[in-house]
Parts: sequence; structure tokens; C-alpha cells
Amino acid sequence: MHTVRFRSLLLGTLTSCFLALSGAVAAQADTVLTLVAADYGTGPADSSLKYWQTIADAFHAANPAITVKVQTVNWNDFDTKIQTMVQNRQYPDITEGDYFSNYAQEGLLFKAREVLSDPGNPMPVFTQLGSYDGAQYGIPFTTSSRALFYNKKLFAEAGIAGAPKTWDELMTDAGKIRALGHIGYGLPLGPEEAQAETLLWLLGNGGGYQAADGAWAINSAQNVETLQFMTKLVQTGDTEPNPGTKNRADLLAQFAHGQVGMLNGLTALLPIIKQAGVLTDNDWGTATIAGKAGPLEKTLGVCDFVAAFKGDGSKREAIKQFLDFAYQDKYQVAFAERYNLLPGTTSGAAAFAKVDPALVPFLSALPKAVQYPNAPAWAQIKTQIQQNIGTAIGPDPKSVLDAIQQAALKAN
Amino acid sequence: MIAVVVLWPVVIMVRTAFQKISPDGFILGQAGWRNFVFLWQEPALPGILVRTSIWVLTVVVITMLIALAMAQLFNQEFPGRRVARWALIAPWAASVVMTAIVFRWSLNADNGIINVALHDLGLMPVYGTDAADWLGRPVVAFAWMMLVAIFVSVPFSTYALLAGLQAIPTETYEAARIDGAGAWRIYIAITLPLLRPAFIVALLINVMNVFNSFPIIWEMTRGGPGHQTSTTTTFMYQLKQSYIGESAAMSVVNFALVLLIVLVYLRATSVQGRAA
Repeated sequence: MHTVRFRSLLLGTLTSCFLALSGAVAAQADTVLTLVAADYGTGPADSSLKYWQTIADAFHAANPAITVKVQTVNWNDFDTKIQTMVQNRQYPDITEGDYFSNYAQEGLLFKAREVLSDPGNPMPVFTQLGSYDGAQYGIPFTTSSRALFYNKKLFAEAGIAGAPKTWDELMTDAGKIRALGHIGYGLPLGPEEAQAETLLWLLGNGGGYQAADGAWAINSAQNVETLQFMTKLVQTGDTEPNPGTKNRADLLAQFAHGQVGMLNGLTALLPIIKQAGVLTDNDWGTATIAGKAGPLEKTLGVCDFVAAFKGDGSKREAIKQFLDFAYQDKYQVAFAERYNLLPGTTSGAAAFAKVDPALVPFLSALPKAVQYPNAPAWAQIKTQIQQNIGTAIGPDPKSVLDAIQQAALKAN
Repeated sequence: MIAVVVLWPVVIMVRTAFQKISPDGFILGQAGWRNFVFLWQEPALPGILVRTSIWVLTVVVITMLIALAMAQLFNQEFPGRRVARWALIAPWAASVVMTAIVFRWSLNADNGIINVALHDLGLMPVYGTDAADWLGRPVVAFAWMMLVAIFVSVPFSTYALLAGLQAIPTETYEAARIDGAGAWRIYIAITLPLLRPAFIVALLINVMNVFNSFPIIWEMTRGGPGHQTSTTTTFMYQLKQSYIGESAAMSVVNFALVLLIVLVYLRATSVQGRAA
């Protein structure tokens, strides 16, 4: 990988030298597109940089007048990185990762139909999530749905028959696994992905971030009750200590090493398990996430989007050419296979279902999945949740939820 | 040059503090004092201010005490002094971010080297418990981070004081010894007063450095959970994500505090100038 990165770096430097030279000689410079993508890999070996560079190289070979410069950013820093670029007016041309409608609200993005020949192909289920004011800006690129992953080996050792269906069962089971000297339930409430874990718990008690009418309902009575239960779970010692400081990536790795009884995961955990080489395919299983009275009817469906920034508007045609190229089924399938995620387009999903039938149940769960709010204020609220929800585990969850609700109202 | 590099950013910072700015950096109009009011109303602010004071005081005082002792030691002739002096540079020369990350991993609840050592000594019977989770408990995490801050601050202070010690003429010591003064008396009556200029410089540079210290806290706890291990510097950064104006207000307050420290410094040195 190092040599690859070095080579591409060298190549990039050479190219830019060449560009500078050719620019001086003849005035016709190439169009350069900057693509900033979140890194889905677990290390240099499976970095998303490779995936995108392959596409960028193939694209450049077919369209020599356009060069795509690829940059990947790890998930912990992705949102901040993009936001800092926007704050500094150094817009990327294309992003892939989280999409926030506030950028659409501010008129910074191209509409999906402006930069894609077939805007109907990206999964329609997520159109709403990628839309602002009736127009679609975020283009679904890759999707996933959440499930409860549990360690069958530890469950058998602790004498537990199957995955828990209710919170009480979950607590009992987690206690039995703790007695074996392992983490019963992995609760990642650190800043990385706390908004997902929290929402999965809120859903279990009929709550959520928004009420049915779309008004913020972060400090609703159900939500307070949910956080109280989570606090009880933590204080009993059934989770890892101090969940407010623990990030998802670390807990997923611990699960893959057989140290965690159960946690809410996504298909991306599969390669991590494989890479760790501790659990065999029979040692772990997935189940519907437990709720207060029974398993969740709807899980959380997550979609990562491509968004195209306008900049001065001159690169629209080049962006369109590249996105049409990158959205080919073969690249959609390659991505889904590489990271054990699900495709973001309808035709990609159909092609993928033939390649990997095991993931079809996850695909069919997507249409009825719950999604994150698509309000422009969500970006800000998400940051507040990530930063502060960990402190709601304690004597006074309500005041923390109240504060986040206040921040949400202030943002509106 | 000074106008562009130093004054202009200050002007922008102060201006930003009085503007209403969207999270993505679009200026929506004037905010008056509203950003400062929002900052003042932050429930986490009192804790952050107290923590910042503790952070600066503890780190600087302990650093200076250790540095005084180290400088004295390194001013003596002893075998291997050259190697020891070189070794002291290491924590200073290494990137603070790197040092902080090394400590973060060393304190990992499950397999951090510090926990492994404690385990082998029989002091930490079970990994992964609350007791082993040093950085998970805000108060303990903060103590560890102060230790790291001291660790990276001691080298500079020691060298500053060492330079001061070497500038003291040996004749003064000889004269004192002839007058029959003991080692402790010499230290109090001659070394410390003559070391004063070097000491004040080291002290103030430390105060400013430690006050503005960002990487240690950011890499070890990100100021979390919530803002429970944040100082004003990291809090400013946390605010920047969503509330640029309020973050700028925090910067202005920080800047005013540093300015105050500098004024005290200038005053102290000018008093000393007159005395000498």
C-alpha cells in the first residue's frame, strides 16, 4: 500500500508539474475534479483510496481531459473536514459520505439531475433523505441497515438460548456474559457514531429524534425513560465502562476479537471479523435489535450519499461525466463486496443480489427502514448528540436531553 | 508585516465574535453581544473555566519545580551528563500529538502497557474494568493529561533554567563559600535571585503554552465525555463545529486572558529592570 500511495503521490506531483508546464505553454489546462470520500477501510490495505483511485484512473484513461484527484478521510473526521472546507470556501467538487441538507439550503450543491444522466437509478427509498425543498441533491451511493450482532460462542458458554428480544432479556443476557469476564453489551456512545446507537435505543421505546409531525422531540418522556434504562444497564456493569468515551470502531474491533457479547452492528462488521481471525462464521449471528417490549419492527437504514458542489459552476459537465462513469453497476457491486455494505442504486442492488445472496435479507429490510432526520439543522444537532449524549448516562439524563433539545430549537 | 501577520487575524477574530454566522461559515448579519451572552449561558462554561485554571496552575507549578531540580542536576559534572542532557530533549523534540497518542494507547483499558505493567505487579487484577479505564473517568483522565503536559513542558523549562545557571559567574559562589555559607544558603541567597530573569521567561512562556495547549487533550479525550475534560482552548474548537460566532467569542476571551498574562509579564520584567 505504501508503495501504491507513494506512487500515486509521485504521479500526482508529476502530473501537477506537467500541468503547470503545459499550462504555461498552451493555455488549455485539464479539468481537475477534487473528490473527497470517507474511508470505509480498516487500514491501509483496504482503504477506500484504492477503490476511488481505480475508478479515477479508468475514467482518466477514457477521458484524458479530466483528472480526478482523490482524497479519503477517516469517518471520525469526515464531517468536520468537509465542513471546514466549506467554512474556508475551499469547496471539493464531489464528496462521498455523509450528506447534509444545509449545504443544499445554502445553494452550494448541484441537483442530482444536473450531474447524473439517470437520477432515477439511485435507490428511491432514500430520495427524501437526500432532498431539500422538494429537489434531490444527495445521490445514494452505498447503504446499510443495522442489526444486533451477537457472539454465539459466548452465548453458549453463558447458557443463553438465543438473541434477546426485549431490553430486560438483553440486560439478563449481558449480565451472564459479564460473569464470564467479557463485555456483555457494547454501547458506543463516544462521538464517532453516538447518534446511531442512541436512535436505535430510542426506537425501541417508541421514541426518536423527531415527533410524527417532524418537530424535534429529543427530550420526550419516552426518550428520558430510554436513557434511564441505558444508565441502569451501564451502572450494573453490563456494558464496557464509561460508554460516553467509547467509539464504535473500537468496540467493533473488540467484538471481532471475541470480547463483546453483543452490540448493534452493520454489515461492515463482517470484514472486521474476518480480518481479526478469532471468530469463525458459526461463532456469531445477527438478529433484529431488541426493544423495550419486543424486537424493533423497523431498523435504522443508513445511506451514504454523493454530493456535487457547484463551486463556480464551470465543472458541471465534467462532474456529470465522472459520476455517470462511477455509478456503473460493476463499481457499485465492487464497493458493496469490498466493504460488505449494500449498493446505493436499484440496478446495482439487482446485480449485487446475484453475486451475494446472503445479504438479500438486509437489502429487503431497507424499504421500511427508519432514517435520520433530513432537516437542515440535523448537521448541528448530530454534533450536539455525538458530543453530549454520553453524559446522559448518569443521574440526570433529562437535563442532557433538554440541553440538546434546546440546541435543536436554537438551530431552527 | 506585523500588521498582516499579527494584527489582521486579531481584527478578524474580534469582528467574527460580533457576527451572526451559520455553521457553514455564511455571515448572516451582526450579532451584537449575543455570541458572548450565548457563551456565558453555556452550562459547561463554569466547569471549563475552573478546569482551565487548575490545568495551568498545576502544570506550570509542578513543571517549574521539577525543572529547577533538573537544571541544578544537569549543571553538575557527572559521568554521562552529555547523554542525560540529550535524553531530556526527547519529550520536547517529539511531536506533542505523537506523545499524546502514545499515552492514550498506553492507558487503554484492555491492553495498554501501563495497565499491563500494573497487572503484572498485581495492582490491576482485571482488565477492562472502570479502574483500568483511566481515560474514561473525567477526573482521572484530566490528571493523566496534566502529567503528559508536565512531561512535555519540563525539557524546555530545564534548558531555560540551565542556561540561566550557567550564566551565574563562579566567582560569586567562591566568594560566598569563603564567607562560610552552606549549600542551601548559597542556593537561596545567590542562585535563586540570579536565576530570576531566566525563571520569569521560562515561567511565562510555560503559562502561555500550557494555557493554549490543544493536542494533548484533543488526542487523549477530545475534551469528552461531553465537555468534562475540556479547557477553554479545546472548548473553543468544539464550539467552532456548530457555533462559529460563539467560538470566536471564546477566542476573544482566551486572547484577552493571554494578553493579561503578557502585561503582567512586561510589568514584572520592568520592575525587575528598575531594581537592577
